[in-house]
Amino acid sequence: MTGVDGAGGNGSPPLVVLERITKRFPGIVANDEVDLELRAGEVHALIGENGAGKSTLMRVLYGIYPHEGGRILVRGQETKIGSPRDAIALGIGMVHQHFVLVDPFTVTENIILGEEGGAVLDVDAAQERVAELAEQYAFRVAPSAVVEDLSVGEEQRVEILKALYRGVEILILDEPTAVLTPGETQDLFENLRKLREAGRTIVFISHKLDEVLQIADRITVLRRGKVVGETRPAETSKAKLAEMMVGRPVLFRLEKPRVEIGEPVLRVESLTGEGKLNGVDLEVRAGEILGIAGVEGNGQRELAESLIGLRKPTVGTISLDGQEIGGRSVGDIRNAGVAYIPEDRHEQGLVLSMTLWENAVLGRQDDAEFSSGLGVLLIRKIKALTARLVKLFDVRTRSIEVTASTLSGGNQQKLILARELETDPKLLIASQPTRGLDVGAIEFVWKQILEQKAAGRAVLLISAELDEIYALSDRIVTLYEGRITGEFAPDAAPEDIGVGMLGGATAEVA
Amino acid sequence: MAVESPPVLERPVDVPEARPEWVERFVGQLLALLASLAIAIVLGSVLIVAYGENPLQVYSSIIDGSLGSVDGFGYVLSIATPLIFSALAVCVCFKGGMFNIGVEGQYLVAMVTASWAALELDFLPGPLLVVAILIAAMLGGMAWAAIPGILKVKTGAHEVVTTIMLNLVAVSLLAWAINFPLKFTVRPEGQNVDLRTDLFSQKGLIGDIGQFFGVTPGAHLSWLLFVAIAAAIVVWFLLRRTRLGYEARAVGSSPGSARSGGVLIGSIQLRLFLISGALAGLVGMQQILADKGYLGQAYQTQLGFTGIAVAFLGQNNPIGIIFAAILWGILSRGEVSLQIGSEVPREFIIILQSILILTVVIVYQIAKRRLAARQLQRAGAAGALEDSASPGESAGPRGPESAAAEAFEPADDTGN
Amino acid sequence: MPFTDIAVAIQISLIYFTIIYLTGLGGLFSERSGIVNIGLEGLMVIGTVTGAFGARFFTDTLELGLPWGPVLGLLFGALCGAVFAGVHAVATISFRVDHIVSGVVINLAAIGVARFLSQMFFDGQSTQSDPGGPHLTEIDIPGLSSIGGGVGRAFQNLSPIVFVAALMVIPVWYVLNRTRWGLRLRSCGENPEATRSLGVSVPLYRYQGVMLSGAFAGMSGAFLASEIIGNWREGQTLGLGFISLAALILSNWNPIRLMFFAWLFGFTVAIPLRLDEAPVINLLPPQFINMIPYFVTIVAIAGFVGRVRPPAAAGKAYEGGGGT
Repeated sequence: MTGVDGAGGNGSPPLVVLERITKRFPGIVANDEVDLELRAGEVHALIGENGAGKSTLMRVLYGIYPHEGGRILVRGQETKIGSPRDAIALGIGMVHQHFVLVDPFTVTENIILGEEGGAVLDVDAAQERVAELAEQYAFRVAPSAVVEDLSVGEEQRVEILKALYRGVEILILDEPTAVLTPGETQDLFENLRKLREAGRTIVFISHKLDEVLQIADRITVLRRGKVVGETRPAETSKAKLAEMMVGRPVLFRLEKPRVEIGEPVLRVESLTGEGKLNGVDLEVRAGEILGIAGVEGNGQRELAESLIGLRKPTVGTISLDGQEIGGRSVGDIRNAGVAYIPEDRHEQGLVLSMTLWENAVLGRQDDAEFSSGLGVLLIRKIKALTARLVKLFDVRTRSIEVTASTLSGGNQQKLILARELETDPKLLIASQPTRGLDVGAIEFVWKQILEQKAAGRAVLLISAELDEIYALSDRIVTLYEGRITGEFAPDAAPEDIGVGMLGGATAEVA
Repeated sequence: MAVESPPVLERPVDVPEARPEWVERFVGQLLALLASLAIAIVLGSVLIVAYGENPLQVYSSIIDGSLGSVDGFGYVLSIATPLIFSALAVCVCFKGGMFNIGVEGQYLVAMVTASWAALELDFLPGPLLVVAILIAAMLGGMAWAAIPGILKVKTGAHEVVTTIMLNLVAVSLLAWAINFPLKFTVRPEGQNVDLRTDLFSQKGLIGDIGQFFGVTPGAHLSWLLFVAIAAAIVVWFLLRRTRLGYEARAVGSSPGSARSGGVLIGSIQLRLFLISGALAGLVGMQQILADKGYLGQAYQTQLGFTGIAVAFLGQNNPIGIIFAAILWGILSRGEVSLQIGSEVPREFIIILQSILILTVVIVYQIAKRRLAARQLQRAGAAGALEDSASPGESAGPRGPESAAAEAFEPADDTGN
Repeated sequence: MPFTDIAVAIQISLIYFTIIYLTGLGGLFSERSGIVNIGLEGLMVIGTVTGAFGARFFTDTLELGLPWGPVLGLLFGALCGAVFAGVHAVATISFRVDHIVSGVVINLAAIGVARFLSQMFFDGQSTQSDPGGPHLTEIDIPGLSSIGGGVGRAFQNLSPIVFVAALMVIPVWYVLNRTRWGLRLRSCGENPEATRSLGVSVPLYRYQGVMLSGAFAGMSGAFLASEIIGNWREGQTLGLGFISLAALILSNWNPIRLMFFAWLFGFTVAIPLRLDEAPVINLLPPQFINMIPYFVTIVAIAGFVGRVRPPAAAGKAYEGGGGT
């Protein structure tokens, strides 16, 4: 299904044509007869929900995945792209969402890996070339710096330089702004404009509709593996794009229950510790949802882990209802009434190889209800609990005997939610609770969090998604470099919050 | 707040009826084992043919020697007994994500402590003495296993290097023990003096049960076999039905999630090492209590490492280990059959056993991936029934899509 | 006693340095490519039996005489080690078996294979070969060996392989840090995703790393059996493969630092062999003196393990999953 064509912008012939591309995985059709055209000198946005197939499509183009149906034409010639090396040879490069850099190597070593130019390394010559390239497109980065020491924004520049070093003309960026502050995002857009002027093509995969409308020349929307539309920013709007993405009008705001906000339940003072914790002060009251906004990597994980007891703070106090819990064990803190929805449900939430009922009791296996004095598990009781939770939270599964790995992301998160909320916690810590979930699951999770508020409990919400922060919070604070840098009302403007996310200093907004 | 939904156990129409998880796993493992056995036999045949012999003849003589007579099978079970303890010791730690390669040293130390008990505590009446000796053995094994356990928990020292070093230390320790504190007080008869302890008193020995089944006393088939089987059942119960076993398995699979759930990892790891050490301690009891009746220079080695092999053969399942140990015994007993009637050297058995372990480990790995891919397929199918289907996720923790993709990535990357 | 015995102890330590260093270098190539190899002991065992056979075969049977006979014997040991390591490579790289498990299997299998080969090579003897095998002519270190007072003894009568081993650091360091191959190998061990994303074949470099580890460990074993002891005997590797592993870990996988730790552990091995009469040490019963090298290793590992940083991807199944 070819999209809008020609008029406005460049009339140049397409550089890359993807024709009826189909890609299947077991049980899923990730790309279903997708058509896409890329032209020289454009920024082409590829949008869709999680799981729509945007990353998969680009990975097919980049040679990471083979495709089952359709064909690829580059500069008019049909080609087979069997590996990233083939793609690069054709001038196609990709920067993944999760950077693939070798930490102990320098910037230059990372860039020349695979393209060293000879059996013996000539580091000086390589560094010079890298420096030249960086200057050409206004990338600020030091060629001899070690990657481990770089900031996220700088790492991204290295990734892009890797592609440019190899002379790519078509650059695919997979969710590039997910890890950037608003200021860094504008820097990146500057770089992209320069590249566009130089005739390069950028494929911009994103689900951030505001940014897409800002930078893209053309937008292609995918839904469940199929192309559902192609348009230009001038001809569309955020709401229209969102509707194309999910097929129905999306709930951007839920009804927040009116609750009397009570006494402080959680008090954190001068919390300092390893990693990025440099004196955090905050307070959450009963019936209140406090949203902590911030770009990932500014101490969110350290904060959440300190609150649940996975980390010991070096300085500072954490008190729950007046009781000091800082530095106590996870078991003690949980018993005091804290529940935790971790940001990484595989690393800190579920044991994937265990069954649902085994996962359902994790954290409570010591309770007299679930194990006898001698340490024998009371399996029947555990299974009864699990059956109830599964039904209550609509966890879709064949049975409770299957392993947690068989559940989809949304259902896994529901299981964790069910398990944690069952304990009627005084404080719920929810860290990136809807990451990787589809809209239906997001809605469910948000409803549950609002329920907690309605029941008069305290909720600490940590999220990198401003949408989520806005939808749920009663108060918003920003976290930057391990400190709280600003407090905002729930209707504050995103630019203002963005300033807080950058440390509170006045930032250059392009 | 309840979300209205149909009762969860009502089967959606187009998802196929599935067997319970554990049955699938069991069938999968059994098939994997049989497949590996077949592959190993075929590869072994190649070697046999190289010796100019007929593989069928060789294999059947092995089977005949091991299963063809009551005596033969008695020997098989006797060989299997210490291996069951050894493999259980390895299995316990393995479930917790750790490698106890120190069983080798742990049972040596246990033989020393057991010998001490046998010699010093012989004022105790018979059955009590036996129990005391076994307890002394378990304590010895526990003590030796505690060292790498504590080192791991306190300093993070990887247990592979520490346990192996301790194995070598244990060899010297045993040598010292029979040279000094436990040296014989009554000189053994004969020209060649075997450096050893005094003979243990008869009441401390473990009785032969082979006699009740017509097995020659030379096979030394003893009560320890039942103890071993009982131990396997206990370990099974521990792993599957107790809090400790549950927490151990969580730690072994996903330490981060276990910690989040309040599990104290260090405590679990240490306890696992202690239990493992106790089991390891019993490995040497067959030879000093059922067979020889003393501890001497010529003690049987390699039981610890063989235990690792048996554990993997039994796929780290306590009940599977019993059968794996018997299988190993059948093969080991084959050495004798080969010696008698064949050009093929007895070392062929060890090669066969090595090939077997390797194929088991590889086949098991392949089977695991297949099973995972099939599970994801069903998850994908089940997922398609959801309101807003999530065929895959591109952000955050890997969802079915990327994981399924992983399962399908070619093993050999031809990026040249 | 003092000077002569310490000198002899140093001489022995140089010999064991050679063994530990060579094996350690092998481990280095494997681990820096991302494959943990605890089967170094087993690879050395293969080296001992094939090296002992090779030395005799090339020197006497093929009548190549010195020095070609023993040299080819050493190379034969290296070759066999590399082939045996191939098993570990296939298991871990192509089948993604857990690295430790595969290493354990290598060690187990090596014993049986060694016996099997032995009774094939050495007239049916399965646990040892005849003593007095051929070896390279020993040399003295010029200058150092003429120091008076008995000290010079430490540098006399050393197999030329000792020098070869010590000099290895130069090409090894250079290849690792200044060549394309080395850069790619190291990146496989630090971040195979990154490596692959740039079109470099991770399995290719890992196979090479593992086979190299077999070659080095095999040569080391061959050296032990044919140059030092003079015959093959079951169990003669004495845990040296694991000591090499410990030395490698403590040296933070750095070929230059490895020299120090290889020598240090080599010295601890020399203690029971030569310094059992020394003050303090002679208070211990002989069996306890034997324990010294292993004891020192444990203390070193426990004490310093926090300060080392292994290659980031070593031991992880390549597709991002970890452990079992």
